[in-house]
This record gives sequence, structure tokens and C-alpha cells, in this order.
Amino acid sequence: MAAASSTHSLLRPEEQDFLDGLIRKHQGQPGMLLAILEAIQERQPNHYLQPEVLEYLAARTGIPGSQIYSVVTFYALFNLRPQGEHSVCICRGTACHTRGSRTLLERVKLQLGLQDGDDDGSADKVTATTADKKFTLRTVACFGQCALAPVVEVDHNILSHVNERALEREIDHLRENRDEAN
Amino acid sequence: MRRIDDLSSFHAAREAGLAKLMPNVPRIAVGMGTCGTGNGAEAVYHAFADQIQGRGLGYKLVRTGCFGACSEEPLVNVRLPGKPLVVLHRVQASDVTAILDDIAAGRIPAELALCKIEEWDHITSHVQYGCDYREIPLWNEIPFFQGQKKLVLRHCGLISPLDIEEYIAVGGYEALYKVLIDSDPERVIEQIKLAKLRGRGGAGYLTGLKWEMMRKAQSGQKYLICNADEGDPGAYMNRNEIESDPHSLIEGMTIGGFVTGATEGILYVRAEYPLAVHRLQQAIEQAEGCGLLGENILGRGFSFKLSMVEGAGAFVCGEETALIRSLEGKAGRPTPRPPYPAQKGLYGKPTNINNVETWYNVAPIVIRGANWFQETGSAKSPGTKVFSLVGKVQRTGLVEMPLGTPLKTFVYDVGGGVAPGRSVKSVQTGGPSGGCIPQDMFDTPVDYETLAQLGSIMGSGGMVVMDEDNCMVDVARFFVEFTHSESCGKCVPCRSGLDQSLRILNKFTRGQATEADLVTLDEISRMIRDMSLCGLGQTAPNPVLTTIRHFRNEFEDHLRAKRCRAGVCEDLALSPCENSCPLHMNIPRFLELLKEDRTEDAFLSVILDNPLPASTGRVCQHPCDNRCRRAGVDDAVNMRDVHRFIADSAFADDALYARAMARLLAVRKAATGKKVAIIGAGPTGLACAYYLSLLGHEAVIYESNAAAGGMLRYALPDYRLPKDTLDREIGIIEGAGVKFVFNTVVGRDVMLNDLAGEYDAVFLSIGTWKESWVYLPGTELTGVIPALPFLEAVAKQQPVTVGRKVTVIGGGNAAIDSARTALRLGAEVTILYRRERKDMPAIPEETEAAEAEGAKIVFLAAPHRIVGDAEGRVKAIEAVKTRLGEYDSSGRRRPVPTGEVIRFACDTVVLAVGETVDLDFVKASGLKLQESGTMLEVDRYSLETSRKNFYAGGDLITGASNVSNAMGYGKKAARNIDQRLMAEKRWSQLWPDFEYAQSAPHHPSESGRHHVREVDAAVRAKTFHEATLGLTPVEAMEETCRCLRCDVRNGD
Amino acid sequence: MPNMISLRIDGELVRVEEGHTIFQAAEAAGKQIPGLCQMKGLSPVGACRLCVVELAGVNRLLPSCTTPAQEGMSVTTQSARIKSYRRMIVELLLAERNHICAVCVSNNHCELQALAMKLGVTHVRYTYAYRSFPVDTSHPRFVLDHNRCIVCTRCVRVCAEMEGAHVWDVMGRGVGSRLVCELNRSWGQASSCTGCGKCVQVCPTGALAEKGCAVEEMIKRGQSISRLAETRGGVL
Repeated sequence: MAAASSTHSLLRPEEQDFLDGLIRKHQGQPGMLLAILEAIQERQPNHYLQPEVLEYLAARTGIPGSQIYSVVTFYALFNLRPQGEHSVCICRGTACHTRGSRTLLERVKLQLGLQDGDDDGSADKVTATTADKKFTLRTVACFGQCALAPVVEVDHNILSHVNERALEREIDHLRENRDEAN
Repeated sequence: MRRIDDLSSFHAAREAGLAKLMPNVPRIAVGMGTCGTGNGAEAVYHAFADQIQGRGLGYKLVRTGCFGACSEEPLVNVRLPGKPLVVLHRVQASDVTAILDDIAAGRIPAELALCKIEEWDHITSHVQYGCDYREIPLWNEIPFFQGQKKLVLRHCGLISPLDIEEYIAVGGYEALYKVLIDSDPERVIEQIKLAKLRGRGGAGYLTGLKWEMMRKAQSGQKYLICNADEGDPGAYMNRNEIESDPHSLIEGMTIGGFVTGATEGILYVRAEYPLAVHRLQQAIEQAEGCGLLGENILGRGFSFKLSMVEGAGAFVCGEETALIRSLEGKAGRPTPRPPYPAQKGLYGKPTNINNVETWYNVAPIVIRGANWFQETGSAKSPGTKVFSLVGKVQRTGLVEMPLGTPLKTFVYDVGGGVAPGRSVKSVQTGGPSGGCIPQDMFDTPVDYETLAQLGSIMGSGGMVVMDEDNCMVDVARFFVEFTHSESCGKCVPCRSGLDQSLRILNKFTRGQATEADLVTLDEISRMIRDMSLCGLGQTAPNPVLTTIRHFRNEFEDHLRAKRCRAGVCEDLALSPCENSCPLHMNIPRFLELLKEDRTEDAFLSVILDNPLPASTGRVCQHPCDNRCRRAGVDDAVNMRDVHRFIADSAFADDALYARAMARLLAVRKAATGKKVAIIGAGPTGLACAYYLSLLGHEAVIYESNAAAGGMLRYALPDYRLPKDTLDREIGIIEGAGVKFVFNTVVGRDVMLNDLAGEYDAVFLSIGTWKESWVYLPGTELTGVIPALPFLEAVAKQQPVTVGRKVTVIGGGNAAIDSARTALRLGAEVTILYRRERKDMPAIPEETEAAEAEGAKIVFLAAPHRIVGDAEGRVKAIEAVKTRLGEYDSSGRRRPVPTGEVIRFACDTVVLAVGETVDLDFVKASGLKLQESGTMLEVDRYSLETSRKNFYAGGDLITGASNVSNAMGYGKKAARNIDQRLMAEKRWSQLWPDFEYAQSAPHHPSESGRHHVREVDAAVRAKTFHEATLGLTPVEAMEETCRCLRCDVRNGD
Repeated sequence: MPNMISLRIDGELVRVEEGHTIFQAAEAAGKQIPGLCQMKGLSPVGACRLCVVELAGVNRLLPSCTTPAQEGMSVTTQSARIKSYRRMIVELLLAERNHICAVCVSNNHCELQALAMKLGVTHVRYTYAYRSFPVDTSHPRFVLDHNRCIVCTRCVRVCAEMEGAHVWDVMGRGVGSRLVCELNRSWGQASSCTGCGKCVQVCPTGALAEKGCAVEEMIKRGQSISRLAETRGGVL
């Protein structure tokens, strides 16, 4: 059992209410922790799990902090650092690989100015966010769209039969839009 | 939706569904699985919706799932009342107006039609659409669907996944109803056992036994889990099944719950499938609303609750104990078995996990029975399996076949083989847990045991087809990188063993591996397989072990020759073109030098890489084009014709030529005092002698003919390669110091043993000069001539008798050369080839040129007999029409004779079916032969024969090939002979430093590829003057500007 | 009275209580099967794979610490293949992290080292990874040196199962797996750690140690934990 729960939290009351609601909803269900963490991350504007949120969760549910941390770092979906505004996800599945997705990945890394050192490293997947926090580049093992290889997901839109030029244009387009907004 | 709790409400729902499925207005169903949506189906759907509403049409428009032909998406089903359902393919939003116009006029847009369905067996029911549209093929008549049996995919792409009534209309929930009414769980389990349904997730365990164990477990709470964590890269059938037909899954699980005693079911779906999650959620709500799920189902007192949990990105959670731990709120690390989940699973309660596809088989078995199920598939594994056929095939998609179907059916018949001009290499089955099956084993039936015997597994059904552009070492590395990153880390063999394996594989792809590494890799892979805790680790070495087993050559190439033939491992090649060139010419260099207007440097660069550029520039098969990255923009750079241009320009400028030759000789190394004899002055021998001479050795070529050139002089006709051009080129070789001894036959005028005494090394390169004989009645008649002697006679300007009507038999370059030569001698020419155009070994441009000059080609015709007149002269030839049958081990279809015979009047028959090695010479040489018994055996890397200091290369060891391949062997042999003689690696010393721009062009030329100019066909067919004119200076320059400089590495 | 069953281990007939594992049966018969993750008193996990044995009639190698002994089994604990594989595992461990015995507090008192010597490991054929790991000295009495950790999870289990504090768990996955304290706190900041030191005692290497020990001075008393488990009547 965790030590006595701390009533001291850095979270605002609405955030605490949201978390309490989630816990109530999923209490006792199989997959409770996954569902709660997924919901929290989805709602957070930068799609990541903040330390104070995890503290609160540990205190409220009684799940040991080390177990929560184990779960958060085991699954590729969860982010402990804020994600960029736009996400570019390159599929590295077999079909996509045989159709050149590694070259695409290298190309985008270059275009976004991401070197190997920017890798977040958790769960050994490529996850790198540009310094200006505008883009997060990640890979996925397989989207399940193999007939459309190579596949790239940009901000939840799946692009199929992607070649280097098309992807370059897509990212430039997002950059320009963003610059205009500024 | 009303609750269904008796037969009449069931029937009411069914009728309502049928009215939607087959309304009396046109029904349009847009395929909107993730594949369709990814290809623009959303826009198509909206276009239909807008126009149907805007035009006030009362048509029924629905979203449906995926019919399986994923490379044809977007698919749209159109059905006019009373007529067959027609599947339209590759529909774009811009097609919608015309489609609706057609429908309004009572027509089907036939140009967009892929196939039609007149009746459909939904397994749980039967639907009759109607008969018509003779011009549109039935769905299972088109190649992609031929042989498929849609059992699991029975409803996919036909009904709306969002409407439970359509599901009920096609027999849905009838099985559940039956099971609840019969209320005999044991009998259902017996049926499942009798059907021998095996788990479709990969392990293939008997589902009936698992259910029985679960039923016997004494416990209050039991759980059923559906494993929808489809993590295999390359597999997406579960996703499609759920998106297109979620209710079959719900029904299957509910039945499973009833017979095993579980009241709670959990669907574990991976997070990367948001549409599947969404559709399942909707379906669950609908089912609950109808009383078909939840409390008191169908009023029978049985309650079953289904909930969904989304996976969070961990492949290992596909392993059942890991999945269970994941549901318990822990990291997904597998735990030891025993205890098995059926005894102690989720929260310590009896739990049964089955894969998505296994659940889809339940309702059919319940309705149609175990005996029916056993009629399909193999004895040990009845039923069908859905495979995702992806990769380098022409037609990708989901294929449902009876178990036991041979692999070649998938690759060739369903998939349509690989792209034209490419050859298939292997199929990777079973995802990261599986292995690679080489092309010569494609007869293997696809089944659990047969694939396991080859070191692979069937797994979830992923089938990735790979061709010659895929490197198997890279494939092994790719999979290990995946499993390594997905390893849970708990057990040492998998966690640390895969890490070490990946390190070694990386060394291979970088050309840094050692012999010890290959041994260590093999050893550690076996240990990981035998020692790992769970299926992930136990199967992770399969890709490595199968590629080492079936593609050992590729590992050895990377290791010993630092070569990646597929052109994938970038550290091992300068550029894709250079890697594909048999001579490894530094193509970017000569392109850049010409671009910088330095013709002399470009010429020197070319002749240092290739002493016969004017010849290869005219006749090479240009494999460099196949991998040119420019082809991804528009077309490959025309490198062959640029290097021809450089050679031709140099030959036209005596001063430049002289300067270049002087520089060449300056590169030549000091005399070594070593002597090498080369047998045969064909391209192979010429190349070998040239390089040996440049390396300072005394190189002497012994040639049986009166002049050098081999096939270049005595087989290639003048209109392809003018003899004076060839002479000029041989001048380069003579200029480099090579000596010739003509009119000398080794084995008659001089013996190999004599040469052994006089020379430090001997290189055999006599080529393939014997014509393959074809056994045909009538070949003894006057007027039947083999191709090579014919071409040789023409080249030697000896008298040749060719009639007025010539038939050429064959499809290779010799056949085309013979045909075009005969045309120029005034004959009418017909070529007979027993396969199809795309199977012809001849260079396509040559075949087209022959046709332009008036030759006729008859395909699918095999010679049957030659008919003579009373004087024993040819008067006609009879051929049997063939059709293409089964695929043979070369990956081509075997021609099978039909009954039909065709007859051509002719007076000359040229036999050009192939050339072979002189068997007498080979046998008399005393050297060891290959297993085939017809060619010399040489060491793969050094080209040495079984006799020390005797080497061999070119067509003599490969069989009939082409000029550049032959020269490549000569060049390689020279390098190896030099290294042996001098005990030192001196090869790279031959190349001076050419300083030229080392950056990739920021704005490569936008111009398209320039094709070489041809003399007008009517004009050129009358003479032996050169038929092609080469590029103009402007064209050549533009080609150099099209190059993307793949050799530049600084990431600029 | 518990049911007794008999089985053969390396040819010798052994009798053991039904429900015990092959490992326990071997131990009872005085045969030492190597193992680094198992420990009497803690639940077995089958992680290190060193305890594998061959079973007549079964194709696979089985982890003896988690496989129940059954009547009539014929078990081989040492074979050429098993010995070779055990050596590979130890070599992999030595290459995976930084096991520098000469400067380690557990030198000459380390289970990994002892096993390596027993198996005759003279060199490591794999590439040393030289990964960089931190050392946590924030706790007033103990030290965690990740460089010596083999992720056997004995510490995780003893803290969760015996002490009930669940301070430790494993974060990340694959070769990135690492011990984690609570929500990635430094040990000194842990709020649920009772300072009992059980984790230190069960750790087979020098990863967890008492402060104040110099090289070779950390001698552990894992048997005391096992005895404690027995007297409590806890896990077998």
C-alpha cells in the first residue's frame, strides 16, 4: 500500500475532479489503468502525462507509484514529455519498409533538423520533438495499412503511397501555415 | 431499435435488414475501411451524399467495409433493383456525377467495373441479387479472387457495419439464437472440436480443447478475451474484419461465453486502430439495444457483458499472459505457464483468449456444422485463413484461402507476381516471428506444420513478398530491430541476446562483419529460440535463422565481398547505379565530369572502369536503370547512352583520344615479371587481360578466331555494333599492352598443361558458343540453320543462304539479332516464341526495333515440326499454340500445349533457343564441374577453379548471359589474380584522383529522359549501317544534369 | 498429509511434495541448479533462464523454478547444450552492463561472479555495450548502482511481497529496462521506503549495497530473508 495519500496537490480543482471522475468510471474494470492514462493524455493539450498527475493518481488509486511509472514507460503510447503541435508518424512496418520507409524517415529527420541525440529513448522507439516544439516525429511499428505502403500519418490524417517529395511538401505546408498564424 | 426476444421480432429485424440490403431503389455502398478512407473514399462518399440529396434521388447510400482488393480502393458497390451487385474500383470523387447519371439511366458504369456478384453465400444465409451484365466477370473469375473462399470475410464489404439489421438480414445472430435455444453447451464444444478449428492468431492450438478446459474450470467468475492487438507489421486482417463486420465478433464471443460459462468478455484492441474501436463500440451499443448482448440475452436468462480496452503500443501484449497482466494494470510482461490462463488467468480467474479471426469461425460452424467445415482446407487444419498479401506484388490486399493452398498461388495467381522486369526473391510469412521462404520453395502448401518445417510460421497470416531489390540481410536486421525494441526485457536471452544480434546484423549491413560474427549470430539465435520465456523471444530469431539458411550467399557477400547485390545497404555501395552495374562503373563521376565539360577526364574515367564503352554503350542491358533513384521522379537517367556519347566523342577527336591514352598508360603499374594466359578474346577475356596489363603483368590472350571480340564481333550484327567501332575499342586494350595469339585453339594447338608451365596463372573465358539443340522433327532438312553460325557467317562476310520467308524460333537476343539480320538480307521474318512478350529474355528495345522493321512475332507458339518438300528443303513449319500453365522454379509459367496447330509457310528456319558451354572442352579440362555437370565450378569470390592458379569467368561459368556481366567477371578475375600473384591489394591504386564537385544538385534538371535517336525503321531495315544514332551533345548534357548524385553522402 | 510424488533427476530417484517445482525437488535432493532470479521465499518468475532443464519426451527446455514436478518425470539438469547456453547467458549479462569486479563492493561475494567462475567463463565473446548508468546515493543508508544490476527483480519482489511497500518496479522495456523507485524519485526521497534493507540482502550482485562498504566489503545475508519467509508460512 502506498503511504497515506497526500491532500497537497499541484493540480487545479477541475483537474482533480476530472481525474476523480475517471477513477470512478473505471474502478474495478480490467484495463483500468490503461484506460485512465489514455484518457488523461488525450485531454492534455500537449498529449503527455505530467508528474503531478501521476502523483495524484497514485495517491487516489492506491496503485504503487513504481507500478504506475512502470506502466507509463513500458507502453509506447504514453509520453512523459510535451509533444509538438504537429505529429508526423512514419510507419516502419514490413510492407512499408520494403517500399522505402526508412529513407522517408531519414529525409524527415533532416528536414526537421532532428539528429539522433534528440531521441526520447523511452521504449526504444523513435520519438523526437523539434526544439521549437512544433513537430514531433515518431515511428509506429505498423498502422495496419500495408496495401497502401509507404504510410505516414500527419496529425491523424493517413497519407498513403507517400514519396519523399510529397512528404516534404506536406511538412513545408504545415510550417507555412504555422508561420502565417504567427 | 426494438428488443429481440423471440422468433417473430427476429424475423421482423431480418426483413427490415433485407429491405435495406436489397431495396427497390438503387443501392450504393462505398467501401470505407481504413484502406478505402486512406485512398480518398471519404471524399467519394460525400460526393455521393451531396449529389444524391442535391438531385433529389431516392437512392440508398451506405458505408460498407472492405471487400479485400485493397490495391483497387476506393471500391464502390452499385446495385440496381433485381440486378447483380457490381463492384466499381478506383473510384474518385470526380467520377461520381457520371456514375449517378448512368444509374439514373438504368446502366452500370462498365468502365469502372471490377466484377459482379449475382449471388452470395453469406455462410449463415444466402442472397440472390440477380443475373445480367454478361460483359462483367463474376467476382471469383477475376485473378485476385480466383480460388478464394470467403468464410471469415463472408460479410465484409457487402453489408453496412453500422447497422445491426443488415447483419441480421444475412443470418447474423441466428447461431447465437440456436445455441441459446438448444441450451447444450457441450454439444457446441464438441462441434468446435470435431471441426478441428485451430487458433488463428498464430499458435494454431485447437480451440475446442481450450474451450473444454475453460468449461471444466470450477469458478464463479470466468473471462473471455478477444486478442485484437494485431501487432505484426504487415498484417491487418483483424482490423479489416472488425471494421467491416463487428457483429460477427460479438456474436462469436457471446456464444463462447455461453458454452464456457464466462459472463464477461473483453476486447483488447490496439490503440493504432481507432476506426475499429469506434465501429466495435457502436456495434456493442446496438447489440445491447436489441437485447442481443448484456442482460438476459434473447430472454433466455443468459447475461454476457462485453467491454473494450485499448492497447497502448506494446507488441508483446499479443502474448496471452502479457495481455492479461496488461489488463491487470501492470506492464505487459509475460508470466510463467503453468498456471495456464484457463486455470488462473485474469485476476486469478479462468480465462480464455482467442484471436479475432478464431471468433469469426464460430457462427459458421454452429450453423453449417463441423463436417461442412472440414470440407475446406487440409486434413490437420480445416477451414480457411485470411492472409494479408503485401509488399512487391502487383495486387495487394486481403486474401482468404483454404489452408493448404500452395504459396505460389498467392504470389503469382492472386498477387500477379512482381513488377515487370523484376524477379521475385522470397515471401516472408508470419511477421517478425516468421521466416523467409525462398522462391524455389513456393510449391509449399501454406499450413501450420509445413511452414514450421521451413523454419517459418504462419502466424497471423502476414505475407510480404520481396523481390531482387530487397536485401535479405537487411530484412533480418529489420525484424530483429523490431523484436529488440518490443522485447519486454524480463528474460536475458531475449533482452540481451537480441541486442547482441542486432549489433552483429548492423555490422553486416555496414560491411564490418567478420567470419566469427556469422558463427556467433547463428549460435546466439538458436539459444534465444530455445531459452526465451515467451513466444516473442522464442520466435524472434526465425527471420535470422531462415535467412542464414536459405540466403546464406547474401550474408557471405556482405561479409567477404562487402557487397549488397540488392542495393539496399548503402554503406556497401557508391550509388544504386554503380551497385547494379556488373562492372561497378563510377557512373556519377563520369556524369559529373561531362557536366563540367571535361570530356577527356570523363573518357579517362570511363575507360578506367570499362575498356569497351562504345560497345556496352550500344548493347548493354542497362541494369543501372532499374535502381536509379531518378525513376522516383520521372525516369531513370540514360546512363548507358551518355557513356556511349563520351566514347564516341573521344573516338571522333584524335588528339583527345591520344591524350587520354597517354594518361591511361601513365596509370599503368611497373612490370611485375608475372605472366598470365587468357583463353578467349571475348568481352570477358578482353576485360581480364586489360586490367592485368594495367596492373603491370604480361597478359596474353589465346583466341581461336582471327580477330578479337568474341560475341561482339561474331554474333552481334553490324547495325548494332559497327565493326570499326569495335576495332577502335580493342585498340584501347592493345594500347594498354595486351598481346594476342590468334587462330589458336586451346586443347588442339596448345594444351592447358603447357600453359600452366609457362604462365603464373591461366584464365579461362571461352564463352558459350554451342547452339542449344531443339529436338524437332525436320531439323535435318536443308534450310534449318542454328543462329550462332548464321550470325558468325554474316559477321565474317561469308556466303549465307537465307530464303525469302524466314521463321526464327526463340525469344532471346540471338533470336532478335537473327531476325533483324534476316530482314536486312531481304527476307520476310516471323518469330515464334513459346511464352508471352514480358517473358522474353531479349532487351525490349531490340524487340520493338525488330517489329518496327517488319518482323512479326507470334507469342504462345511452340514449334512442333518442320515440313519439307520432295527435295528435302524446308517448306513450312508447324507450331502448337500454348497456354501458360503452372509456375516453374524460374518464376515463369510453363507453356503447356493446347490442341491447336498453326502452320507457316517458310523456306528457312533459324534455331535460336539458347547457347551452351562446349561440354567437350569442359570435360577435357580435367577441372571440377558444378553439380549440373555442364559448367566449371569456381570459388564464388576468387573465381579460382579446382586447379591452383586456374581461374574461369564469364558465360563459361554462368551460362549464356550478356556483355556487361561477362566483362564484370573478367574485371573481378583480374583483381583476384593480381592479389594472389602480388600477395597485396593493389587494385585501388589504378584510379587517379579526379577532382570534381562533391555536392548533390539543389535543382536537378526537370527535363525528362532522352531516348537514343533511331534511324527510321524503313530506311535502316535495308542496310547494316548503324541503327541508332546516339545522343546529341545537348541531350547528353541534359542527362548529366538529371542525375541526383546519390553518391554524395554529406546530407547536403 | 501432503501427497508425495517421485521423479528422476539426473538418473537419481527423488521424492518431493506434490506442488513443488522441479527446482525445489532438485534442491531437496542436494542438487544445485544455478539460478540468479529465483530465491527461496520469493515467488519464482523464470526470468534469468539459468535454471532450465531437459525433460525426457519434451522438445523444449523448461525453467525448473516455475515448472511443477510431476510423477514419473525424467529430468536432466546438466547437458552439453544446457551448459553452453548457461555460459552464453552469463556472458550476455557481463556484456550488457558494467560489471567491473575489481572495484565492486561485492567482489568475491557476488552470485553472478561465482556462477561465472563455476561455469568456466574465461572471456566474453559478445561486444561490451558500455552503457552509461547512474548511481543513486541519495538514501542515508544504502546505494543503488544500476551498472551492476541484472534486473533479476528479487528486490522488486521482496519489497512488494514481503515488506509490502512496493517501492521498486521496473521501468522501460527491452535493454532499456531499469529499476525505478516510486514515480522515478531518488531513493532518498522515497516516501514509502521503510529502510528495512531487505532489497539489499536479496540482491545477487553489488547493485544494491550498504553505504560504508568499500571494495569487497559487502557481504549479504539473503538466507535470512528466506528463513523469514518460511517462518511466516508465506510463499513456498
